[in-house]
Parts: sequence; C-alpha cells; structure tokens
Amino acid sequence: MLSSMAAAGSVKAALQVAEVLEAIVSCCVGPEGRQVLCTKPTGEVLLSRNGGRLLEALHLEHPIARMIVDCVSSHLKKTGDGAKTFIIFLCHLLRGLHAITDREKDPLMCENIQTHGRHWKNCSRWKFISQALLTFQTQILDGIMDQYLSRHFLSIFSSAKERTLCRSSLELLLEAYFCGRVGRNNHKFISQLMCDYFFKCMTCKSGIGVFELVDDHFVELNVGVTGLPVSDSRIIAGLVLQKDFSVYRPADGDMRMVIVTETIQPLFSTSGSEFILNSEAQFQTSQFWIMEKTKAIMKHLHSQNVKLLISSVKQPDLVSYYAGVNGISVVECLSSEEVSLIRRIIGLSPFVPPQAFSQCEIPNTALVKFCKPLILRSKRYVHLGLISTCAFIPHSIVLCGPVHGLIEQHEDALHGALKMLRQLFKDLDLNYMTQTNDQNGTSSLFIYKNSGESYQAPDPGNGSIQRPYQDTVAENKDALEKTQTYLKVHSNLVIPDVELETYIPYSTPTLTPTDTFQTVETLTCLSLERNRLTDYYEPLLKNNSTAYSTRGNRIEISYENLQVTNITRKGSMLPVSCKLPNMGTSQSYLSSSMPAGCVLPVGGNFEILLHYYLLNYAKKCHQSEETMVSMIIANALLGIPKVLYKSKTGKYSFPHTYIRAVHALQTNQPLVSSQTGLESVMGKYQLLTSVLQCLTKILTIDMVITVKRHPQKVHNQDSEDEL
Amino acid sequence: MSRLEAKKPSLCKSEPLTTERVRTTLSVLKRIVTSCYGPSGRLKQLHNGFGGYVCTTSQSSALLSHLLVTHPILKILTASIQNHVSSFSDCGLFTAILCCNLIENVQRLGLTPTTVIRLNKHLLSLCISYLKSETCGCRIPVDFSSTQILLCLVRSILTSKPACMLTRKETEHVSALILRAFLLTIPENAEGHIILGKSLIVPLKGQRVIDSTVLPGILIEMSEVQLMRLLPIKKSTALKVALFCTTLSGDTSDTGEGTVVVSYGVSLENAVLDQLLNLGRQLISDHVDLVLCQKVIHPSLKQFLNMHRIIAIDRIGVTLMEPLTKMTGTQPIGSLGSICPNSYGSVKDVCTAKFGSKHFFHLIPNEATICSLLLCNRNDTAWDELKLTCQTALHVLQLTLKEPWALLGGGCTETHLAAYIRHKTHNDPESILKDDECTQTELQLIAEAFCSALESVVGSLEHDGGEILTDMKYGHLWSVQADSPCVANWPDLLSQCGCGLYNSQEELNWSFLRSTRRPFVPQSCLPHEAVGSASNLTLDCLTAKLSGLQVAVETANLILDLSYVIEDKN
Repeated sequence: MLSSMAAAGSVKAALQVAEVLEAIVSCCVGPEGRQVLCTKPTGEVLLSRNGGRLLEALHLEHPIARMIVDCVSSHLKKTGDGAKTFIIFLCHLLRGLHAITDREKDPLMCENIQTHGRHWKNCSRWKFISQALLTFQTQILDGIMDQYLSRHFLSIFSSAKERTLCRSSLELLLEAYFCGRVGRNNHKFISQLMCDYFFKCMTCKSGIGVFELVDDHFVELNVGVTGLPVSDSRIIAGLVLQKDFSVYRPADGDMRMVIVTETIQPLFSTSGSEFILNSEAQFQTSQFWIMEKTKAIMKHLHSQNVKLLISSVKQPDLVSYYAGVNGISVVECLSSEEVSLIRRIIGLSPFVPPQAFSQCEIPNTALVKFCKPLILRSKRYVHLGLISTCAFIPHSIVLCGPVHGLIEQHEDALHGALKMLRQLFKDLDLNYMTQTNDQNGTSSLFIYKNSGESYQAPDPGNGSIQRPYQDTVAENKDALEKTQTYLKVHSNLVIPDVELETYIPYSTPTLTPTDTFQTVETLTCLSLERNRLTDYYEPLLKNNSTAYSTRGNRIEISYENLQVTNITRKGSMLPVSCKLPNMGTSQSYLSSSMPAGCVLPVGGNFEILLHYYLLNYAKKCHQSEETMVSMIIANALLGIPKVLYKSKTGKYSFPHTYIRAVHALQTNQPLVSSQTGLESVMGKYQLLTSVLQCLTKILTIDMVITVKRHPQKVHNQDSEDEL
Repeated sequence: MSRLEAKKPSLCKSEPLTTERVRTTLSVLKRIVTSCYGPSGRLKQLHNGFGGYVCTTSQSSALLSHLLVTHPILKILTASIQNHVSSFSDCGLFTAILCCNLIENVQRLGLTPTTVIRLNKHLLSLCISYLKSETCGCRIPVDFSSTQILLCLVRSILTSKPACMLTRKETEHVSALILRAFLLTIPENAEGHIILGKSLIVPLKGQRVIDSTVLPGILIEMSEVQLMRLLPIKKSTALKVALFCTTLSGDTSDTGEGTVVVSYGVSLENAVLDQLLNLGRQLISDHVDLVLCQKVIHPSLKQFLNMHRIIAIDRIGVTLMEPLTKMTGTQPIGSLGSICPNSYGSVKDVCTAKFGSKHFFHLIPNEATICSLLLCNRNDTAWDELKLTCQTALHVLQLTLKEPWALLGGGCTETHLAAYIRHKTHNDPESILKDDECTQTELQLIAEAFCSALESVVGSLEHDGGEILTDMKYGHLWSVQADSPCVANWPDLLSQCGCGLYNSQEELNWSFLRSTRRPFVPQSCLPHEAVGSASNLTLDCLTAKLSGLQVAVETANLILDLSYVIEDKN
C-alpha cells in the first residue's frame, strides 16, 4: 500500500506559498514595519520583527514553505539580515516566472497536449530556467556588480587603507538596520547603543577578530533587566556576569585572579580509584590533611595577591571559608561559555592546584582592575574589570525593557547587527565572465573605484583634476617586460572639459589589439598615492592576468578619452583600478574584488541600480534565456522598493522616486535619496545570491511526495509492510 | 525514549487588536484593575474552585500573579506590569489602568500606528521632563529630618490597600512601625556609600494589629521546650558568636568520584564525632558564647556545648544567614578543623521573648541595621495583604531615599499633568512636533486621548457613584459624594482636594472632569508654607510613578504596534 500523495511541484504552488509568507513579512519590513507577537510552546511571549524568527515560529507544514524557510535560516546564519527582503524578492521572482508561463499558454497547446504532459514539459522548461539562473548568479551577477554598480558604492571607512571607521557612517548604517528590526520608538536609541558599544569595545588596531569574539559570546556580553524602561539600557565598562559572588571580600590595589575548573579541595578518591580506610585515625588524618592542604592553597593564592577565584564548578564550603578568611572573593558555577569568554579576553589558562607545594609564583594569574557586585534592579551581578590581552576591550550591554520579549528582540537585533558588520568588514571576491564581442567599447571597462566618503558630498567647486597621463609608457613597459609582452600605449589622453558635477568618474578606454588572442588579460591600473600639493598621478599598469600565454605577442592598447575626474577631498586616497579585458572572441574570466565596507544609501537604491543595469545588460544580450532571466530578476528587484515606499505619497511615492533615479542614471547625475541611512552592499549581494539559489532549488523540483508516516528515524516492520 | 513528533503549525492572526475577542478580554482586564484602584477600591477574591488557598486582595502584584491569562497580548500587558511591580513595588494598578485606557482611546481614533507611537512618545517625554523639572507643580521635596512627609507617604500606601482591613488607629500604628523599621536599617555613621540594612518581617497571625512591633536585631523562632533548655547567660560584655554554614551533624562529607572502602570495625561516625568534639573544644577555648548553625548540629556536640555554657542553635535556614552575618559581623564557617579567630562575631545581648503564642530567641545587636518587624493581623489573607503592603512601603521609602521627592497623590498629579499637557499642546505644538511629519490635528487628537486616559485613571478612584471635579487654577482633583445636592455651592460640598494640599475656601473655579474645558496653565511652583503646614497629605512615590508612566506608555505603544500574532500550538 502506498500511503503517499504526490503533488506537482510547480511555480504556481511555490508562488502561492511565497505570497502567504510575503503577506506576513511585508507588514514588518522597513521603517514603517510593525511588530509581530509570537508565543512559544512554553507560553512565553516574544516580540519580533526578525523575519527569520517569524518564519520559524510559523512551523509551516507545506514542503515548499519549509524549504524556503530553511534557505532563509541558512542565509540568516551567515549574514544576520535580509530575511524579509528574501521572501519579498523570491515572491516577485516567482510572480515573474509565473507570468511567463501564463503568457505562453496558448489555446492550441492546451487542447493538444494532455495536462499531464504539459506538466512534464513545464518541468523541463523550469529546469532550463533554473540553469540559466544559476549561470546568471555565478557568471553574470558579479560582473554587473563590479563593472557598473561598484561606481556607486560608498565606503563606511573614512580612510580605505587603514580602515578607520567613520562614526557618522556607522551610525547611519546601524540606524537603517535597526529601523527594520526593532520597534520604531526604540530604533534610534538601540542603534546609538550599538554604535557606542562598537566604539567602546574596539581598539584602533582591532579587526575581524573582535567581531568573532563578540559574535560568539554575545549572549554572555549582555544582561537583560525586565521592569525598567528601554531608555535605561546602557553600556557598562567591564564584564558583567549573571551570577552573584558566593563569597565577596572588598579589595583594591594590586588584584589578581585565577580561573579553576575543578574543586580546589582535594577529595578522598578520584574517579576510578579506590580509597581504603583501615582505621578511624587514618580517616581523621586524611581529613586533616585535606583541610590543611586546602588552607595552604588558599593561603598561597593570597600570598600571590589573588583576590578573585572564578570557578566553573561549585566549590565546597571549606574552600569558600578559607577564601573568605584570606580575602578572596569567589564566583562559582560559571557556564563553560562564560569561562571561555574570560579566557579569551585575558588569555589565561585555568589554575591547577599544585601537587607538590612550593613558594614559587603561580603562573596562571591575571591582573584585574576591579571586581565588585553590581546591583541592577535589586538583583546582584558580578562586575569584573578585566584587563584585556586581545583587541577587544570588555564592555557589557545592560538591556532594559518592560517585558522579557522586548529585551529578547533587542538582543536579537543587536546580535544580527553584529553579524551584518562582520560580513561588511570582509572583502568580497567577484569572479565573472564577460563576453566582449563588440569592439565599440560600449561596455565600460575602466572601473573607477573610489572608497572614500567623498561620494556622499561631491563638491562642485573643488577637486576636478584632469591630468594627462604622459609618463605611463615606461611604467607599462617595465611592468610588462617581465611577461615578455610588448605594449604600445598611446598615452594621448584627451581630457575634455568635463562637467564638474559629473558625479561618477567614468571613463571608457578602448582596447584595440592588433592580434586576436585566445588568452585573457586583466590589466589593473592602480593609482598610487595622490600627492596633495602637486595633484600628480602616477598610474601603474600592472599585468596580472590569469592563464597567461602571450609570449611573443604584441598588445597594443590605446586609450581614448580617458577621463579621470577626481572628486576626492584633500588627503583622501584614490585607488583607481582599471580592468582591461581582451577583446577576444572568446569569453574572458575576470576576477576582482569588492573592498570591505561598501555601502549604499537605503531606500531601495541597490535594487533600483541593479534593476537599471540589468535592463541595460539584457538589451545587449543575445541569448533569449539570458535576457529573460535578467529581465525577470530586474523587475523582481523593484518589488522591494515598492514595499518600502508603500506608505509614501506624492513626491516620495515609488513611481516618482524610480523615475528620478533612472533619469539621474541616464544623465550621469548623482542619485539623491530621500532617506538617510546606509546599507551594506555585501549583505544585499549575499541576499541576492541566496534567493537565486533558493529559486533554482524550487524550480528543479518537479514533484512533491507526501509520505504519511511519522518522521521517526527508527525503521520498524509496520512501515515495511506498508510499502 | 522520547518520541519525535511533527510540530503542529502555528496560528497566525493579523491585526489582532481589531478582533472582538481581544477587545472583550482587554476590557475585562480593565474592569478588574479599575475596580481595585484606590482606598475605596473593591476587593477581589481569588480561588481555584478546588478548595485550598483563597486570596483576597486589591493589589496588582497579588492579583496578576494569581490571574491566568491566555491571550498573548494580555500576557505582554500583565508581564510588563508584573515586572514593573517587582522592581518598584508600587503603582502597578496605575500602570495597568493607564495602559488599558491608552490602548482603548487610541484605537478609537483610527490613526496609523506610526503616528500614534511617535506622538505618544513625545507626550511621554513631555510628562517626564515636567515631573523632573524644578517648576513642576505636583511634586514636593521630602525632608528626612522630619517624619511628617515620610509618614504621609507610608500612610497613603496603607490606605490605598483596603484588603489589609485596618482601622484608622491601626493604620497610624502600622505606618509608624514601618517608618521606624526603615529608619533602623539606615547605618548611623554612614560616609559616602550607604549600604542599607534589612527589615525582616516576622509573621504573627491571629493577633491584633495593634500588637505589632519593631525590634532591633533578629528573632529566631523556637519552641517553648527548646527555649527553656537554653541557659541564661550572665555576661556584661558582648557575646562572642560563631556562625556555621556547613553541617555539624557528623555525616561524612563528599568523598569524591571514586569509591571509599571502609574496613570492618571502622566507624566513620565515631571518627567524625571525634572531630566535632575537637571542634567543640576549640570553640570553648576560644570563649565562644553562642554557636549558630545553618544546618543541623549533632546532639552530642550540642550537649557538649551546653555543658560548657555555650548556647547552640541549629537549623537557622539559609534566609537568615545573610542578615546574621551582617548583624554579628561573623564570617560563616565552613570548616570542621581550625577556625580562624577573625571569623567570630559578636552580639550585644540575647534574650527570650514571647509574642502571642510564639516564642523567640532574640539577638540584640551592637549597632543595628537589621531589625525585625513583628507583624500581626487577624487572619491569614489579611496578614498576607498587610505583609505585601509593608514590603511595598519599605521599598518605596528606600526609593525615596535615593530620589528625595514625592508626588501629590489622590489623583491630583494626574489631573494636573493632564492640564499641563493640554495647555502645552494647545499653545506650543511646534516645540513638540519639531521636525516630525505629524500634523497639529494629529497631535491634538493624540494629546486628548492621552489626557483623557490619565484622567480616567483618577476617575476610577471613585467607586461609589460620586462625581469628580477639577479646579481651574491648580488642576487638582476634587470629589463629591454621590448623594450630595445639586451644583449649587461647590465650596460647601468640597472640603479638600485629593491630595489634601488645598481646601475649598480659596476662590476657585471647578468643572467636571468628564466635561470639556478650555486649556489653562496649571499653577506650578508649590507654596512652601502650604507644604510645611499640611500634615495629612496623600503622597505617591515619584520613582515608582515615573517608571509606571513610562512602562504604561511603552507597553501601550508595543501593543498598538502589533500587526500579527503567531501562536505556537505545540
């Protein structure tokens, strides 16, 4: 007996599911989003605007829905952001695909082919589309990001090389993030709190490592206090442990601490051993010995100025007593996470009571600035002033709120923000393929990357520097001689009178190689440091091609209309990278990278930009499948700003904004955003790839089989009989 | 073996506040809390229908902890009130009523949640900054050099809890006791950082309230027989105390994870007892007069100590350990071996005492920051209520010590605040709106909803059909009895305002609280002589009320912001 049911896995079914999910998440997306109240099976209530949590709380039954939720959670685990956008985007993509099938359903087909057959035909079609999607994601998307979008990117760093964080940019970024994650009356406060926390915990040299530490131990680094208004939340210097001292002795001056992971008091017998008591006297002497030993250890600790004993296990009364006598405070029963956090901060290994007793110094002690009880709402906590040996300066967040559910939401959002920042601080490698068949140079190949805050406020009166590159020939030759390639560079850079308000420096050099190659070349033109006084550029052409076999060949590169417009302010860095792919007939694989800290203004900027460039790309495409996929993605992208601008009217409504943006792009003018705030490009990029992967997964399924059996892993006879 | 079961899908509801079910449950909760509010509030009897404990109360903490709410929205509401109460003890009902009123009033308006939340927040910060400002007309400084205002504060709390069943004379007595108990916990020579002591409440049920008393030090309850056995100590100097936190019963301590093999004929009990007696000898040689043990003392050791004129008391329990440590200055001893001489503490004297049918061993401290409040009341439920009230009052006094201000009670603060907000939103809306996208009309609407929410809180002080009025000068609250003749001569009918600061002899204009009035500036800056002379003011705790106000508005905002409720049905 086959007790299973089959249902056609189709775009239609997926769309229905996605639309239901969209209805739920779209109510809490963006700055106008509202809260959702979830109850746990235990009866606790939780407030949330976290898309991932909502989707998980729904406990969906539908198999496609479950798959979508799985995709969302794995995306969230990586990036900490974008669950709601994920659903909205996916839904729009499915809508786009569905619309295509509807269009193609001509009456003739319906009559001739049986429904079942049509289903299979559809399935194979979906398979093609899903492959096209995959190709798009792996080979085209990166190129568009790199070649077109990257020129719009702003950077969160005020200086690209040293990666100094710009506080105001970080504030804008976090504010935009929390806008979508916490209640609207708290988002400003929480984002300020996060920003403060960030700057308080970081030293100037600290990098990714701090993010990892804070991310791993975020639970231990914050304390929730119910019954107080949210505005009482604050950051406390030092580490707050959610425990009370079992022994507290106030101390000051030179204070040291030790960590122990077992009881200090020696026991009669350890595990696996046997202790044979032959007489009462023996028992008494052993007891006496244990006591004396404990006493001696504690005294020894005291002599080493140890004032704090941190233990992961409960210490016997005897230890507590002698600790108290010797002026040592004791904190017991710490979780392994707390112990590992402390150990990571101060780099201390646990203290093992010495077997043979000597007066030598105990190696495993660390200095402590202070250790005192902290009272938050009449509950006592341990407050430690640890001296950090790593880049993290310990600070704890005290989160207050009227109910626990709200505190949990804030904690969740802070943790998510941390994940988002952690991603943002990574460089992203972009690998893509270009098909540059046209020799007109219509595709802009000269990518001008500027990582600086100068994008935000181009000053028309300042800094439009045009310099002819005259001395580049020698440089180029130098660089290229190694690869025995001759490059004839016509460095006749024509510098027309560029409009000063040209927002994005945009140049289109054309390569006119004399020979046609089968090989791929990437030339990177890196500008060195810009000299402030002389405004002098020294471009360096570096040849870092992969799969390079141009021995004995000649490449002739001529720059035509190379315009370099400098809009950076004084003292900022200006890295210029130039990729000059070969105009070969074959496809060329390029690799480039998106520097860490790329951001864009909020309010659907990323989506509109990508939409615009994708449409442009689609026009140039020759393959129908590729065009279609690009169009679908481009149109689906607009769904996100549409939701964001839902409540806006008049000048700020979506159509107006869209038209303004497209107009600005066509005329090479800066995009003006009506909203303040920034969002991570990295996050958006990863979201896009995750959604596309999810969609390909959905499209490749042709049938869903429901098995009516308990999801038990145990095989029993009954089920075998059934089958 | 646990069985793996498929999770049931959750229940997802959109726009939860608009459903009839939520509205009715909210209004039921509101009815419960409003009817409890104030000195004439009605009592609630909570029982589970299967017999057992019956609780008669009008206090939010007792009420809400016994109520079982199922709807998630109500859970949020009650949880936030309970959290407020557990941190501030007072103003729970105020918070609950205000929150319910706000939700109800705002819902009627039909504005978008964004606007509502934003404006509510503005109005809240307006209230908070006014209540904290120097010009605030409804708060008075608390003078710790005289007991008058402190007594008023405690009395107001006691009178607002009718389930304590106190007569006026008893109220006076208990308020004086509470104040004395509080003052005993303040260390005498405090420099800089003050660490308050503790007042322990000792139950004495079935006695007259008048028999309640406060004693410095700690009372340990004992049976009469035990007490008779204790020998009186005659000593002029302080008594030396040893306090043990480890057991002295003679059971073998933790022997580790391995096995311990005991040969035939070896008696560990004897070995341990030997050890205990050695300990006893050490105590004797150290001239200890009093041995206290958290756990059990072996009878042989007890007798041994008694023989040497040492009082030994065991089974003290963990709750008394901290106050005992603090009072005697001992260090709890965890060792059966050598005892460090500085672990001993001292008490001034000990004596036995009998209150009602109970016998106590009384430890009198050298310098007291620990005191015992012997609390009597006629029956269990009234005693429970009185105990909760005393704890509230003690907590409120502590909060007032930190922030030495009190708010005018009896509803006057609320009406005054409402008048202030009305005036402010009418005359200076730009300063509130600033850069916001909200319009003035929206502000007027929300301000009206906010003010009427505040006013209906005080409206629920009246349970007997009387009328509530407000004057147009101070913005205080005045109440008229139900059966009074018509609106002929207000000054004759009204004697005093709610808080008792003003009387009707002044030239004042009154109007009904429910009627619409033109906005007026409530007079700020209290006359000093008025505050000084008034001996019978009704006062509220500033800290608790401020927090209550914030919690109420924040919670209402939270609930108004909900767009979906997802209920996990597993």
